[in-house]
Amino acid sequence: MQNERSQGSKGFWKKVGGYIRPFIGIAVIAWAIWRMYIVFFVDAKFGPETWLRLAFSGLVIGGMYSLVAIGYSLVYGILGMINFAHGEVMMVGSFAGYFLIQALKQIPVPSAVMPEQTFLNAYPWLSVILAFAVGMTTAAATGYFLEKIAYRPLRNAPRLVPLISAIGASIFLQNAVQLLFSPQLRDYTNPDLLARGTGFALKVNDNSVMLTYTGVLAFLISISLMGLLYYVVQRTRLGRSMRAISQDKKTSALMGVNVDNVISKTFIISGLLAGAAGVMWGLQMGLINYFMGFLPGIKAFTAAVLGGIGSIPGAMVGGLVLGVIESIAPAAFGVDFQLKDVIAFLILILIFLYRPTGLLGTTIKEEKL
Amino acid sequence: MKNKSSGNKIVNPAIVASIVSIFLIMIGFNVVFAAIVSKAFGQNVISGSLSNPYFQIVFNAMMGFLVGWRVNQTRNFRGVLASSAAGAISGAIVAGFCLLLGIIYVNGGDFRSYLTALSPINVNFCLYGLPPIMGFLVTLVTFIIFAFLGGLLKLIPFGRFFSKPAGAVKSFFNKPSIQKTWHNKVFRIFLLILGLSALIILPRLWGSYWNYVIGTVGIYVLMGLGLNLIVGLSGQLVLGFAAFIAVGAYTAALLNAPEPHNLMLGSWIAFIVGIGLAAFAGALIGLPIMKLRGDYLAIVTLGFGEIMRISLKSDLLTSFTGGPRGIQDIKGPVIFGAAFNSDIDFMYLIIMAVAIAIFVTIRLQDSRVGRAWISMREDETVASASGVNPMKYKMLALVLGAAFAGLAGTIFATRNQFTGPEDHTLMVSINALAIVIVGGMGSIPGIILGAFALKGLPELLREFESYRMLAFGALLVAMMIWRPQGFWPAKRPALSKRVKPEDSPPPLPLDPNKEVGHD
Repeated sequence: MQNERSQGSKGFWKKVGGYIRPFIGIAVIAWAIWRMYIVFFVDAKFGPETWLRLAFSGLVIGGMYSLVAIGYSLVYGILGMINFAHGEVMMVGSFAGYFLIQALKQIPVPSAVMPEQTFLNAYPWLSVILAFAVGMTTAAATGYFLEKIAYRPLRNAPRLVPLISAIGASIFLQNAVQLLFSPQLRDYTNPDLLARGTGFALKVNDNSVMLTYTGVLAFLISISLMGLLYYVVQRTRLGRSMRAISQDKKTSALMGVNVDNVISKTFIISGLLAGAAGVMWGLQMGLINYFMGFLPGIKAFTAAVLGGIGSIPGAMVGGLVLGVIESIAPAAFGVDFQLKDVIAFLILILIFLYRPTGLLGTTIKEEKL
Repeated sequence: MKNKSSGNKIVNPAIVASIVSIFLIMIGFNVVFAAIVSKAFGQNVISGSLSNPYFQIVFNAMMGFLVGWRVNQTRNFRGVLASSAAGAISGAIVAGFCLLLGIIYVNGGDFRSYLTALSPINVNFCLYGLPPIMGFLVTLVTFIIFAFLGGLLKLIPFGRFFSKPAGAVKSFFNKPSIQKTWHNKVFRIFLLILGLSALIILPRLWGSYWNYVIGTVGIYVLMGLGLNLIVGLSGQLVLGFAAFIAVGAYTAALLNAPEPHNLMLGSWIAFIVGIGLAAFAGALIGLPIMKLRGDYLAIVTLGFGEIMRISLKSDLLTSFTGGPRGIQDIKGPVIFGAAFNSDIDFMYLIIMAVAIAIFVTIRLQDSRVGRAWISMREDETVASASGVNPMKYKMLALVLGAAFAGLAGTIFATRNQFTGPEDHTLMVSINALAIVIVGGMGSIPGIILGAFALKGLPELLREFESYRMLAFGALLVAMMIWRPQGFWPAKRPALSKRVKPEDSPPPLPLDPNKEVGHD
């Protein structure tokens, strides 16, 4: 009797949920189509050059999201946990790059033409490479110690425990940076060669679209880093052990994979990518502070989910797609640009509702969902 | 890591301690710490000025002492020597750092634009106001002496000292007569009356400041109790709790403030509508996403919380909710013609609300619903296999938790006479979560303790204000590593009736040749 009643109510709640889900989906799609119809055919206030500009900035940001998202995906694949502090790893990398650039700005390299030239402008490419190197190394070290201190003791704990530890680590890192370097916004100084607001001009319908040098650089670096990572994961011994561990930790340990070592290296790799993204963020956006890692972190997680969490090509594609959507959607739907974060979060929720496996993901185990 | 020689056991803790000390110096903690110590010694420091640099010695002594205590694992005299060695190493590193800073600053360097805490005064402070070399020596010697003392203290067998009195206290409470009094109904009622009368009298005696602080703690207890139903009892990690608080707060504000709509319906209606709407929001958000588990649910609800905050802040809702400026001049409740205007009145309101919330929580967790939640928390698959409908009970937990949040939000907004989008950031959700986690999941005294620890203590330690969030993050990590069940964990409910040994059936004769657990 008791059992039958609970069976009946289970059916009821499933039914309610079942009605609501398609209803929300249809409503969202209908709204999107309606808004896009108005923006493109009724108002038509944006020309192709605007869309191109938005798509370009979306791709640049998307590249950074991809780099951070890969970190989420790698860690999720191997440990099955969300590394909530990953955005802060990116922030630390960005700060390291900032301080290196500030240091290089202090070194005078006078030349005959420009007596007040600094190292930064005398050797701009070397400076940028150094900034990336320092940012990536610092972020990698942060990731390494993060894993060692906050996650390793919790390897076999229930699932919520590492997540809460990660939230704590994230708060700690944010506030440590705030207390060390003050909460003020800091200007990222670019070399004059890569000054913000300069770039290749592209002619579209008598309007020029500026492809900024920093943006192009950031996009190229992120694509090449992704390629490199793909090579590492698919072709090297380390990559093979990483894939083995993500399939079955115990068996791979039995086959002679040093699990702890590989997990450490995974955090180092994801820290390297996040650090690169942080330096790019600084060079492209120009302002950083201790809280800058939070939103990119959440959005990169969204990107990882969008592509299918645990899948590396998924994270790459997801980041680029999310960046472009986030950049174009406010204009395409004719809503305020303030709401672009809302759109990113809505995408996150909608994916979870309708396709939790993401664009490229395979099936997720029941226990993981 | 490979060779665990005795040298590593000295060097590693020493390096860790020196890194921690240098970090604390770089964030200026030593200066604040010295100010607190000097306050304890009766020298009140005016805020903004510095205490006597000699109080820096307490900071160094503490760090040295901790190193010594940590290193002497063997508890013999060799261990004390090891402690001193470790103290010398970490002292040399810390003092070297201070010396370096001192020399740089004497020669006119300045890091202040990068490392804010390292002002010349603070650097001078690290060196006791002495010339750099002298400061270096004093720091080093302090570390060595106190590491030595720390090691020496480890030789004293504290366990033996404390085990006797602790055992005596335990046996005293286990005495049948004490146990009997404790379980006596009259005694319980007497305690209840004592507690209630204390709650009625105390707000009148505390004064405005304490009522404000304790009231804030009370509101966080409410939030913690609400989140406890969701996280602590039913095991769903929800990071968007601030969204429900925002629904409650904004309902109270919109119905009872002159600014955007001038409805002025009165606080009591606003409270009820706020609770209802928050519960409705819980149902609305819960229905589509409740099939998610664990960290996915956490991230999705975080997304909802942020959507709520950003929307409230955006121009989209400015005409309806006041936008980033928020809503001001929320009118307080009126009871029998008397308006609530002092903190004392609100304190009573909060005490009432907390009492109701505690009552509801206790009734829920001792009921069939509570048992279903706990079984779901422990293992959802097994729970649903034994007849618990997870969807239904998850929804119930979310709706009830959201209702609690709505109550907390309405009271919070009405008491502050203001609510704005920045009152409902992710930090509020994380605070509420931390209260539940730190206190102990599912434990009501734990939540009250957690709210006092996380909201009340920082009010008392105003000097440490800027280090609050840092300590908070570190505390979350440390709790998860060493005490994941919380400071005051819930007792496991006695779900089954106690069976006397003679009543239990005889054990089944097992055939040893048959394998049972074969899959």
